[in-house]
Amino acid sequence: MPDQPVLHSRRSLTLRFDIPISKTQEFWAALKEGRFVTTKCARCGKVTFPPQADCPNCMASEFTWTELGREATLVTFTYVQITPASFVDSDPYIIAIGEFPGGTKVLAWLEGTKLEEAKPGMKLRVEARSSKEGSPYYVFVAA
Amino acid sequence: MSRVAIVGIGHSKFGRRNDVNVAELAFESIKQAVEDAGVDRKDIGNVVVGSAGGWYEESLPAVVVNEYAGLSSVGTMRVEAACASGSAAVKTAYSSILSGECDVAMAVGVEKMTEVDTLTSVELIGRAGSYTWEFENYGMTFPAYYALYAVAHMNRFGTTEEDMARVAVKAHHYGSMNPLAQFQKEITIEKAMGSQVVSWPLKLYDACPLTDGSAAVILASEEAAKKLTDTPIWIRGVGYSSDSANLSRRGDYVGLAASVEAGRRAYAMAKVSPEMIDVADCHDCFTIAELMAYEDLGFCKKGEGAKLVREGQTEVGGRIPVNLDGGLKAKGHPIGATGVSMAVEITKQLRGEAGARQAPIRHGVGLVHNVGGTGHYAYVTILSRG
Repeated sequence: MPDQPVLHSRRSLTLRFDIPISKTQEFWAALKEGRFVTTKCARCGKVTFPPQADCPNCMASEFTWTELGREATLVTFTYVQITPASFVDSDPYIIAIGEFPGGTKVLAWLEGTKLEEAKPGMKLRVEARSSKEGSPYYVFVAA
Repeated sequence: MSRVAIVGIGHSKFGRRNDVNVAELAFESIKQAVEDAGVDRKDIGNVVVGSAGGWYEESLPAVVVNEYAGLSSVGTMRVEAACASGSAAVKTAYSSILSGECDVAMAVGVEKMTEVDTLTSVELIGRAGSYTWEFENYGMTFPAYYALYAVAHMNRFGTTEEDMARVAVKAHHYGSMNPLAQFQKEITIEKAMGSQVVSWPLKLYDACPLTDGSAAVILASEEAAKKLTDTPIWIRGVGYSSDSANLSRRGDYVGLAASVEAGRRAYAMAKVSPEMIDVADCHDCFTIAELMAYEDLGFCKKGEGAKLVREGQTEVGGRIPVNLDGGLKAKGHPIGATGVSMAVEITKQLRGEAGARQAPIRHGVGLVHNVGGTGHYAYVTILSRG
Protein backbone atom coordinates (compact mmCIF):
# COMPACT_ATOMS: atom_id res chain seq x y z
CA MET A 1 0.00 0.00 0.00
CA PRO A 2 1.44 3.43 -0.93
CA ASP A 3 2.20 5.93 1.80
CA GLN A 4 -0.92 7.54 3.16
CA PRO A 5 -1.37 10.83 5.03
CA VAL A 6 -1.02 10.29 8.81
CA LEU A 7 -1.37 12.44 11.92
CA HIS A 8 2.07 12.11 13.51
CA SER A 9 1.10 12.30 17.19
CA ARG A 10 2.92 14.98 19.21
CA ARG A 11 2.22 13.31 22.58
CA SER A 12 4.94 10.75 23.20
CA LEU A 13 4.78 8.34 26.12
CA THR A 14 7.78 6.96 28.00
CA LEU A 15 7.05 4.10 30.39
CA ARG A 16 9.47 3.22 33.15
CA PHE A 17 8.28 0.93 35.92
CA ASP A 18 9.27 0.80 39.61
CA ILE A 19 8.97 -2.95 40.10
CA PRO A 20 8.62 -4.05 43.75
CA ILE A 21 11.25 -6.60 44.78
CA SER A 22 10.91 -6.42 48.58
CA LYS A 23 9.89 -10.08 48.91
CA THR A 24 12.78 -11.41 46.87
CA GLN A 25 15.53 -8.85 47.52
CA GLU A 26 17.65 -11.55 49.20
CA PHE A 27 18.12 -13.08 45.75
CA TRP A 28 19.69 -9.87 44.42
CA ALA A 29 21.71 -9.31 47.62
CA ALA A 30 23.10 -12.88 47.48
CA LEU A 31 23.90 -12.45 43.80
CA LYS A 32 26.05 -9.41 44.62
CA GLU A 33 28.00 -11.70 46.98
CA GLY A 34 28.37 -14.27 44.20
CA ARG A 35 25.82 -16.75 45.58
CA PHE A 36 22.99 -18.08 43.37
CA VAL A 37 19.98 -18.80 45.57
CA THR A 38 16.23 -19.25 45.25
CA THR A 39 13.20 -19.86 47.45
CA LYS A 40 12.31 -23.18 49.05
CA CYS A 41 8.87 -23.62 50.65
CA ALA A 42 9.14 -24.23 54.40
CA ARG A 43 6.02 -26.39 54.35
CA CYS A 44 6.18 -28.62 51.24
CA GLY A 45 9.83 -28.15 50.29
CA LYS A 46 9.17 -27.04 46.70
CA VAL A 47 12.09 -25.16 45.17
CA THR A 48 10.93 -22.39 42.83
CA PHE A 49 12.81 -20.28 40.29
CA PRO A 50 12.35 -17.40 39.69
CA PRO A 51 12.16 -17.00 43.48
CA GLN A 52 8.73 -16.28 44.92
CA ALA A 53 7.67 -15.74 48.53
CA ASP A 54 4.38 -17.59 48.17
CA CYS A 55 4.53 -21.26 47.24
CA PRO A 56 2.74 -22.07 43.95
CA ASN A 57 2.46 -25.71 45.09
CA CYS A 58 0.85 -25.42 48.56
CA MET A 59 0.26 -21.65 48.91
CA ALA A 60 2.31 -21.40 52.12
CA SER A 61 4.05 -18.05 52.62
CA GLU A 62 6.91 -19.31 54.79
CA PHE A 63 10.12 -20.10 52.94
CA THR A 64 13.88 -20.36 53.20
CA TRP A 65 16.62 -19.48 50.73
CA THR A 66 18.46 -22.39 49.18
CA GLU A 67 21.62 -22.51 47.04
CA LEU A 68 21.04 -23.67 43.47
CA GLY A 69 24.77 -24.23 43.04
CA ARG A 70 26.87 -22.96 40.14
CA GLU A 71 26.86 -25.80 37.60
CA ALA A 72 24.08 -26.32 35.06
CA THR A 73 23.51 -28.16 31.78
CA LEU A 74 22.48 -26.39 28.58
CA VAL A 75 18.94 -27.41 27.57
CA THR A 76 18.33 -25.07 24.64
CA PHE A 77 19.53 -21.73 23.29
CA THR A 78 19.18 -19.10 20.57
CA TYR A 79 21.33 -16.33 19.11
CA VAL A 80 19.38 -13.05 19.02
CA GLN A 81 20.51 -11.05 16.03
CA ILE A 82 17.56 -8.62 15.78
CA THR A 83 17.34 -7.02 19.23
CA PRO A 84 14.44 -5.01 20.72
CA ALA A 85 14.36 -1.18 20.71
CA SER A 86 15.70 -0.89 24.26
CA PHE A 87 18.64 -3.25 23.45
CA VAL A 88 19.83 -1.49 20.29
CA ASP A 89 23.15 -0.69 21.95
CA SER A 90 23.78 -4.38 22.77
CA ASP A 91 25.75 -6.68 20.54
CA PRO A 92 23.78 -9.77 19.45
CA TYR A 93 23.56 -12.25 22.31
CA ILE A 94 22.98 -15.92 23.03
CA ILE A 95 20.06 -16.68 25.35
CA ALA A 96 20.22 -20.09 27.02
CA ILE A 97 18.10 -22.19 29.34
CA GLY A 98 20.26 -24.14 31.78
CA GLU A 99 19.12 -26.92 34.09
CA PHE A 100 20.58 -27.26 37.61
CA PRO A 101 20.92 -30.56 39.47
CA GLY A 102 17.47 -31.18 40.94
CA GLY A 103 15.75 -29.96 37.80
CA THR A 104 15.41 -26.20 38.38
CA LYS A 105 15.83 -24.33 35.09
CA VAL A 106 17.08 -20.76 34.57
CA LEU A 107 17.07 -18.48 31.51
CA ALA A 108 20.04 -16.15 31.02
CA TRP A 109 22.61 -14.95 28.50
CA LEU A 110 25.37 -17.38 27.60
CA GLU A 111 28.50 -15.23 27.47
CA GLY A 112 31.86 -15.97 25.86
CA THR A 113 30.62 -18.85 23.69
CA LYS A 114 30.32 -18.64 19.92
CA LEU A 115 27.06 -19.77 18.30
CA GLU A 116 28.76 -22.71 16.57
CA GLU A 117 30.21 -23.89 19.91
CA ALA A 118 26.87 -23.93 21.75
CA LYS A 119 25.37 -27.42 22.08
CA PRO A 120 22.53 -28.82 24.16
CA GLY A 121 24.10 -30.93 26.91
CA MET A 122 27.18 -28.72 27.36
CA LYS A 123 28.17 -27.83 30.92
CA LEU A 124 27.56 -24.28 32.12
CA ARG A 125 28.50 -22.21 35.13
CA VAL A 126 26.39 -19.32 36.41
CA GLU A 127 28.21 -16.06 37.20
CA ALA A 128 27.12 -12.72 38.65
CA ARG A 129 27.42 -9.54 36.60
CA SER A 130 26.64 -5.91 37.17
CA SER A 131 25.08 -3.57 34.61
CA LYS A 132 26.55 -0.17 33.73
CA GLU A 133 23.97 1.34 36.10
CA GLY A 134 25.07 -1.01 38.90
CA SER A 135 22.12 -3.45 38.75
CA PRO A 136 23.07 -7.06 39.42
CA TYR A 137 22.21 -9.80 36.93
CA TYR A 138 23.52 -13.27 36.13
CA VAL A 139 24.85 -15.03 33.07
CA PHE A 140 25.97 -18.49 32.03
CA VAL A 141 29.48 -19.20 30.79
CA ALA A 142 30.87 -22.47 29.46
CA ALA A 143 32.15 -24.55 32.41
CA MET B 1 -26.71 -28.78 25.36
CA SER B 2 -28.04 -26.10 23.03
CA ARG B 3 -25.92 -25.22 20.04
CA VAL B 4 -24.24 -22.05 18.75
CA ALA B 5 -23.41 -21.33 15.12
CA ILE B 6 -21.35 -18.89 13.11
CA VAL B 7 -23.87 -17.10 10.88
CA GLY B 8 -21.84 -14.20 9.52
CA ILE B 9 -18.20 -13.52 8.66
CA GLY B 10 -16.12 -10.48 7.74
CA HIS B 11 -12.41 -10.02 7.02
CA SER B 12 -10.34 -6.97 6.09
CA LYS B 13 -7.35 -6.87 3.80
CA PHE B 14 -4.31 -7.67 5.95
CA GLY B 15 -1.03 -5.79 5.63
CA ARG B 16 0.40 -2.38 6.39
CA ARG B 17 -2.87 -0.49 6.59
CA ASN B 18 -1.88 3.11 7.20
CA ASP B 19 -4.94 4.19 5.22
CA VAL B 20 -7.22 3.44 8.20
CA ASN B 21 -7.31 3.91 11.98
CA VAL B 22 -8.31 1.10 14.34
CA ALA B 23 -12.06 1.86 14.23
CA GLU B 24 -12.12 2.21 10.45
CA LEU B 25 -10.21 -1.05 10.12
CA ALA B 26 -12.59 -2.95 12.42
CA PHE B 27 -15.57 -1.46 10.58
CA GLU B 28 -14.52 -3.17 7.34
CA SER B 29 -15.03 -6.58 8.96
CA ILE B 30 -18.05 -5.66 11.07
CA LYS B 31 -19.96 -4.35 8.05
CA GLN B 32 -19.26 -7.50 6.04
CA ALA B 33 -20.22 -9.77 8.95
CA VAL B 34 -23.48 -7.92 9.63
CA GLU B 35 -24.40 -8.06 5.94
CA ASP B 36 -23.35 -11.70 5.62
CA ALA B 37 -25.50 -12.66 8.61
CA GLY B 38 -28.40 -10.47 7.51
CA VAL B 39 -28.79 -9.43 11.12
CA ASP B 40 -30.10 -6.15 12.49
CA ARG B 41 -27.43 -4.47 14.65
CA LYS B 42 -29.98 -3.87 17.42
CA ASP B 43 -30.34 -7.65 17.78
CA ILE B 44 -26.64 -8.07 18.65
CA GLY B 45 -26.55 -8.46 22.43
CA ASN B 46 -22.80 -8.61 23.00
CA VAL B 47 -19.72 -7.42 21.11
CA VAL B 48 -16.45 -8.93 22.31
CA VAL B 49 -13.34 -7.24 20.94
CA GLY B 50 -10.07 -9.18 20.82
CA SER B 51 -7.08 -6.86 20.74
CA ALA B 52 -3.73 -6.99 22.48
CA GLY B 53 -3.19 -3.25 22.04
CA GLY B 54 -0.35 -1.02 23.13
CA TRP B 55 0.92 -0.24 19.61
CA TYR B 56 -1.91 2.02 18.53
CA GLU B 57 -3.29 5.21 20.04
CA GLU B 58 -6.55 4.02 21.57
CA SER B 59 -6.61 2.49 25.06
CA LEU B 60 -10.25 1.39 24.93
CA PRO B 61 -10.64 -0.24 21.52
CA ALA B 62 -13.99 -1.91 22.24
CA VAL B 63 -15.93 1.32 22.75
CA VAL B 64 -14.05 3.16 20.00
CA VAL B 65 -14.84 0.37 17.52
CA ASN B 66 -18.48 0.09 18.63
CA GLU B 67 -19.09 3.85 18.48
CA TYR B 68 -17.79 3.99 14.91
CA ALA B 69 -20.04 1.09 13.88
CA GLY B 70 -23.17 2.51 15.53
CA LEU B 71 -23.20 -0.05 18.33
CA SER B 72 -22.76 2.36 21.24
CA SER B 73 -25.16 0.92 23.82
CA VAL B 74 -24.25 -2.74 23.30
CA GLY B 75 -22.81 -4.90 26.08
CA THR B 76 -19.11 -5.12 25.36
CA MET B 77 -15.59 -5.82 26.57
CA ARG B 78 -12.07 -6.09 25.21
CA VAL B 79 -10.43 -9.47 25.91
CA GLU B 80 -6.72 -10.32 25.90
CA ALA B 81 -5.04 -13.68 25.46
CA ALA B 82 -2.00 -12.34 23.57
CA CYS B 83 -1.98 -13.75 20.02
CA ALA B 84 -5.03 -15.86 20.94
CA SER B 85 -7.12 -12.80 21.86
CA GLY B 86 -9.27 -13.41 18.78
CA SER B 87 -10.14 -16.96 19.83
CA ALA B 88 -10.76 -15.70 23.35
CA ALA B 89 -13.23 -13.20 21.87
CA VAL B 90 -15.01 -15.98 19.92
CA LYS B 91 -15.11 -18.15 23.03
CA THR B 92 -16.51 -15.31 25.16
CA ALA B 93 -19.19 -14.44 22.59
CA TYR B 94 -20.04 -18.17 22.34
CA SER B 95 -20.39 -18.47 26.12
CA SER B 96 -22.67 -15.43 26.32
CA ILE B 97 -25.11 -17.16 23.96
CA LEU B 98 -24.84 -20.56 25.65
CA SER B 99 -25.56 -18.95 29.01
CA GLY B 100 -28.76 -17.45 27.62
CA GLU B 101 -27.60 -13.85 28.02
CA CYS B 102 -28.27 -13.12 24.35
CA ASP B 103 -29.25 -14.83 21.10
CA VAL B 104 -26.78 -13.07 18.83
CA ALA B 105 -23.23 -11.95 19.66
CA MET B 106 -20.27 -10.72 17.65
CA ALA B 107 -16.56 -11.34 18.09
CA VAL B 108 -14.33 -8.71 16.50
CA GLY B 109 -10.56 -9.06 16.30
CA VAL B 110 -8.53 -6.01 15.41
CA GLU B 111 -4.90 -4.92 15.65
CA LYS B 112 -2.86 -2.06 14.29
CA MET B 113 0.82 -2.92 14.71
CA THR B 114 2.50 -0.55 12.28
CA GLU B 115 1.68 2.82 13.85
CA VAL B 116 4.85 2.51 15.96
CA ASP B 117 8.31 1.77 14.58
CA THR B 118 9.28 -1.86 13.99
CA LEU B 119 11.75 -2.21 16.89
CA THR B 120 9.17 -0.84 19.33
CA SER B 121 6.76 -3.54 18.13
CA VAL B 122 9.55 -6.12 18.55
CA GLU B 123 10.04 -4.82 22.09
CA LEU B 124 6.34 -4.93 23.00
CA ILE B 125 5.99 -8.53 21.79
CA GLY B 126 9.30 -9.48 23.43
CA ARG B 127 7.89 -8.38 26.78
CA ALA B 128 5.13 -11.00 26.36
CA GLY B 129 6.48 -13.50 28.85
CA SER B 130 7.87 -12.75 32.30
CA TYR B 131 9.23 -9.20 32.13
CA THR B 132 11.58 -9.08 35.12
CA TRP B 133 13.22 -12.45 34.56
CA GLU B 134 13.31 -12.66 30.78
CA PHE B 135 13.23 -9.17 29.31
CA GLU B 136 14.75 -6.65 31.72
CA ASN B 137 18.25 -8.12 31.63
CA TYR B 138 18.15 -10.46 28.63
CA GLY B 139 16.10 -8.75 25.90
CA MET B 140 14.00 -11.71 24.86
CA THR B 141 12.22 -11.29 21.55
CA PHE B 142 9.28 -13.22 20.19
CA PRO B 143 11.44 -15.02 17.62
CA ALA B 144 13.88 -15.86 20.45
CA TYR B 145 11.15 -17.61 22.44
CA TYR B 146 10.25 -19.86 19.52
CA ALA B 147 13.90 -20.31 18.55
CA LEU B 148 14.47 -21.96 21.96
CA TYR B 149 11.80 -24.47 20.94
CA ALA B 150 13.24 -24.86 17.43
CA VAL B 151 16.73 -25.72 18.73
CA ALA B 152 15.32 -28.27 21.17
CA HIS B 153 13.12 -29.83 18.46
CA MET B 154 16.06 -30.03 16.03
CA ASN B 155 18.24 -31.56 18.72
CA ARG B 156 15.65 -34.14 19.81
CA PHE B 157 14.02 -35.15 16.52
CA GLY B 158 16.44 -34.14 13.77
CA THR B 159 14.11 -31.46 12.38
CA THR B 160 16.12 -29.23 10.02
CA GLU B 161 16.15 -25.60 8.96
CA GLU B 162 15.06 -26.84 5.53
CA ASP B 163 12.00 -28.54 7.05
CA MET B 164 11.03 -25.23 8.58
CA ALA B 165 11.58 -23.49 5.22
CA ARG B 166 9.12 -25.95 3.65
CA VAL B 167 6.41 -24.64 5.98
CA ALA B 168 7.11 -21.09 4.78
CA VAL B 169 7.03 -22.15 1.12
CA LYS B 170 3.63 -23.81 1.67
CA ALA B 171 2.29 -20.73 3.46
CA HIS B 172 3.36 -18.40 0.67
CA HIS B 173 1.93 -20.78 -1.95
CA TYR B 174 -1.54 -20.57 -0.43
CA GLY B 175 -1.11 -16.91 0.49
CA SER B 176 -0.63 -16.21 -3.22
CA MET B 177 -4.23 -17.41 -3.73
CA ASN B 178 -5.69 -15.31 -0.92
CA PRO B 179 -6.44 -11.73 -2.03
CA LEU B 180 -6.71 -10.64 1.63
CA ALA B 181 -3.21 -11.93 2.54
CA GLN B 182 -0.34 -9.57 3.34
CA PHE B 183 2.06 -11.50 1.06
CA GLN B 184 0.81 -12.92 -2.21
CA LYS B 185 4.07 -14.11 -3.69
CA GLU B 186 5.42 -17.64 -3.94
CA ILE B 187 8.87 -18.20 -2.43
CA THR B 188 11.43 -21.00 -2.76
CA ILE B 189 13.23 -23.05 -0.13
CA GLU B 190 16.48 -21.37 -1.25
CA LYS B 191 15.03 -17.90 -0.72
CA ALA B 192 13.72 -18.84 2.73
CA MET B 193 17.02 -20.48 3.73
CA GLY B 194 19.00 -17.48 2.51
CA SER B 195 16.99 -14.86 4.39
CA GLN B 196 18.40 -12.85 7.28
CA VAL B 197 18.83 -14.59 10.63
CA VAL B 198 16.48 -13.01 13.18
CA SER B 199 17.09 -15.31 16.13
CA TRP B 200 19.06 -18.39 15.10
CA PRO B 201 17.94 -20.83 13.77
CA LEU B 202 14.89 -18.73 12.82
CA LYS B 203 15.25 -16.46 9.81
CA LEU B 204 13.09 -13.73 8.37
CA TYR B 205 11.11 -16.25 6.30
CA ASP B 206 10.45 -18.40 9.37
CA ALA B 207 8.62 -15.48 10.97
CA CYS B 208 5.18 -13.97 10.52
CA PRO B 209 5.18 -10.25 9.72
CA LEU B 210 3.84 -7.31 11.73
CA THR B 211 0.34 -6.75 10.42
CA ASP B 212 -2.67 -4.46 10.60
CA GLY B 213 -5.97 -6.22 10.13
CA SER B 214 -9.41 -7.09 11.41
CA ALA B 215 -11.91 -9.93 11.25
CA ALA B 216 -15.40 -10.47 12.66
CA VAL B 217 -17.80 -13.36 13.19
CA ILE B 218 -21.43 -13.22 14.24
CA LEU B 219 -22.65 -16.08 16.41
CA ALA B 220 -26.23 -17.10 17.02
CA SER B 221 -28.22 -19.52 19.16
CA GLU B 222 -29.66 -22.55 17.36
CA GLU B 223 -33.08 -20.94 17.11
CA ALA B 224 -31.73 -17.61 15.84
CA ALA B 225 -29.26 -19.29 13.49
CA LYS B 226 -31.98 -21.28 11.73
CA LYS B 227 -33.92 -18.07 11.07
CA LEU B 228 -30.84 -16.23 9.77
CA THR B 229 -29.10 -18.74 7.49
CA ASP B 230 -29.29 -22.03 5.60
CA THR B 231 -25.56 -22.61 6.09
CA PRO B 232 -24.84 -22.32 9.80
CA ILE B 233 -21.39 -23.50 10.83
CA TRP B 234 -21.69 -24.98 14.29
CA ILE B 235 -19.20 -24.53 17.10
CA ARG B 236 -18.87 -28.13 18.23
CA GLY B 237 -15.96 -27.95 20.61
CA VAL B 238 -14.01 -25.30 22.48
CA GLY B 239 -10.91 -26.10 24.51
CA TYR B 240 -8.54 -23.67 26.11
CA SER B 241 -5.55 -23.95 28.37
CA SER B 242 -2.41 -22.10 29.45
CA ASP B 243 1.16 -22.57 30.63
CA SER B 244 3.78 -20.78 32.75
CA ALA B 245 4.74 -17.19 32.00
CA ASN B 246 8.43 -18.04 32.53
CA LEU B 247 9.79 -20.35 29.86
CA SER B 248 12.25 -21.74 32.40
CA ARG B 249 9.33 -23.36 34.24
CA ARG B 250 8.29 -25.48 31.25
CA GLY B 251 8.89 -29.24 31.27
CA ASP B 252 10.44 -29.38 27.78
CA TYR B 253 10.80 -27.31 24.62
CA VAL B 254 9.62 -29.65 21.88
CA GLY B 255 5.88 -28.94 22.04
CA LEU B 256 3.34 -26.67 23.68
CA ALA B 257 1.58 -28.33 26.63
CA ALA B 258 -1.22 -25.75 26.44
CA SER B 259 -1.95 -26.77 22.82
CA VAL B 260 -2.08 -30.45 23.75
CA GLU B 261 -4.50 -29.78 26.59
CA ALA B 262 -6.69 -27.33 24.64
CA GLY B 263 -6.89 -29.86 21.80
CA ARG B 264 -7.77 -32.70 24.15
CA ARG B 265 -10.60 -30.67 25.67
CA ALA B 266 -11.97 -29.53 22.28
CA TYR B 267 -11.85 -33.03 20.73
CA ALA B 268 -13.62 -34.47 23.79
CA MET B 269 -16.35 -31.84 23.71
CA ALA B 270 -16.90 -32.19 19.96
CA LYS B 271 -16.61 -35.99 20.14
CA VAL B 272 -14.28 -36.07 17.12
CA SER B 273 -10.78 -37.45 16.59
CA PRO B 274 -7.95 -35.78 14.69
CA GLU B 275 -8.55 -38.15 11.73
CA MET B 276 -11.97 -36.53 11.20
CA ILE B 277 -10.60 -33.01 10.65
CA ASP B 278 -10.96 -32.06 6.96
CA VAL B 279 -9.12 -28.76 7.17
CA ALA B 280 -7.33 -26.79 9.87
CA ASP B 281 -5.89 -23.38 10.57
CA CYS B 282 -2.92 -23.81 12.92
CA HIS B 283 -0.92 -21.15 14.70
CA ASP B 284 2.21 -20.67 12.59
CA CYS B 285 3.62 -17.44 14.03
CA PHE B 286 6.92 -19.17 13.26
CA THR B 287 7.46 -22.17 11.01
CA ILE B 288 8.53 -24.33 13.98
CA ALA B 289 5.19 -23.51 15.63
CA GLU B 290 3.28 -25.13 12.75
CA LEU B 291 5.39 -28.31 12.97
CA MET B 292 4.80 -28.50 16.73
CA ALA B 293 1.07 -27.87 16.19
CA TYR B 294 0.81 -30.94 13.90
CA GLU B 295 2.23 -33.02 16.74
CA ASP B 296 0.44 -31.33 19.64
CA LEU B 297 -2.96 -31.68 17.92
CA GLY B 298 -2.44 -35.35 16.99
CA PHE B 299 -2.17 -34.88 13.20
CA CYS B 300 0.98 -37.03 13.48
CA LYS B 301 3.09 -38.62 16.20
CA LYS B 302 5.42 -36.56 18.39
CA GLY B 303 8.57 -35.76 16.45
CA GLU B 304 7.06 -36.46 13.02
CA GLY B 305 5.88 -32.94 12.17
CA ALA B 306 8.72 -32.42 9.72
CA LYS B 307 7.90 -35.72 7.97
CA LEU B 308 4.30 -34.56 7.50
CA VAL B 309 5.33 -31.38 5.70
CA ARG B 310 8.06 -33.17 3.68
CA GLU B 311 5.40 -35.59 2.38
CA GLY B 312 3.02 -32.76 1.50
CA GLN B 313 0.37 -34.20 3.82
CA THR B 314 -0.71 -30.74 4.98
CA GLU B 315 -1.40 -29.45 1.47
CA VAL B 316 -4.62 -29.83 -0.53
CA GLY B 317 -4.68 -33.49 -1.55
CA GLY B 318 -2.80 -34.54 1.57
CA ARG B 319 -4.12 -36.12 4.74
CA ILE B 320 -4.98 -32.85 6.45
CA PRO B 321 -4.63 -29.51 4.67
CA VAL B 322 -3.37 -26.79 7.02
CA ASN B 323 -3.39 -23.00 6.62
CA LEU B 324 -4.91 -22.73 3.16
CA ASP B 325 -5.36 -19.00 3.78
CA GLY B 326 -1.57 -18.55 3.88
CA GLY B 327 -1.35 -18.89 7.64
CA LEU B 328 0.08 -16.23 9.91
CA LYS B 329 3.26 -16.45 7.86
CA ALA B 330 1.84 -15.15 4.56
CA LYS B 331 -1.64 -13.91 5.42
CA GLY B 332 -0.16 -11.85 8.26
CA HIS B 333 -0.63 -11.85 12.03
CA PRO B 334 -2.54 -8.87 13.42
CA ILE B 335 -2.33 -10.27 16.97
CA GLY B 336 -5.92 -9.81 18.22
CA ALA B 337 -7.50 -10.40 14.81
CA THR B 338 -5.79 -13.72 14.07
CA GLY B 339 -8.09 -16.09 15.97
CA VAL B 340 -11.18 -14.51 14.45
CA SER B 341 -9.55 -14.60 11.00
CA MET B 342 -8.94 -18.33 11.47
CA ALA B 343 -12.62 -18.87 12.35
CA VAL B 344 -13.57 -16.91 9.22
CA GLU B 345 -11.31 -19.09 7.05
CA ILE B 346 -12.56 -22.40 8.43
CA THR B 347 -16.16 -21.19 8.07
CA LYS B 348 -15.44 -20.36 4.40
CA GLN B 349 -13.87 -23.78 3.91
CA LEU B 350 -16.80 -25.62 5.48
CA ARG B 351 -19.30 -23.54 3.50
CA GLY B 352 -17.34 -24.44 0.33
CA GLU B 353 -16.60 -20.77 -0.39
CA ALA B 354 -12.78 -20.89 -0.41
CA GLY B 355 -12.43 -20.89 -4.21
CA ALA B 356 -9.04 -21.93 -5.60
CA ARG B 357 -7.76 -22.95 -2.18
CA GLN B 358 -10.80 -25.02 -1.20
CA ALA B 359 -10.04 -28.22 0.73
CA PRO B 360 -12.08 -31.34 0.01
CA ILE B 361 -14.69 -31.61 2.76
CA ARG B 362 -15.49 -35.23 3.76
CA HIS B 363 -16.60 -35.24 7.37
CA GLY B 364 -17.67 -31.60 7.44
CA VAL B 365 -15.34 -30.82 10.34
CA GLY B 366 -12.66 -28.12 10.63
CA LEU B 367 -10.33 -26.98 13.38
CA VAL B 368 -8.93 -23.65 14.56
CA HIS B 369 -5.76 -23.69 16.67
CA ASN B 370 -4.71 -20.33 18.08
CA VAL B 371 -1.76 -19.87 20.45
CA GLY B 372 -1.13 -16.82 22.61
CA GLY B 373 2.48 -15.92 23.31
CA THR B 374 4.80 -18.92 23.29
CA GLY B 375 2.19 -21.43 24.37
CA HIS B 376 1.23 -19.14 27.22
CA TYR B 377 -2.36 -19.47 26.07
CA ALA B 378 -3.88 -21.96 23.63
CA TYR B 379 -7.38 -22.16 22.18
CA VAL B 380 -8.74 -24.91 19.96
CA THR B 381 -12.15 -24.49 18.35
CA ILE B 382 -13.82 -27.24 16.33
CA LEU B 383 -16.40 -26.22 13.73
CA SER B 384 -18.75 -28.37 11.68
CA ARG B 385 -21.41 -28.23 9.02
CA GLY B 386 -23.84 -30.50 10.81
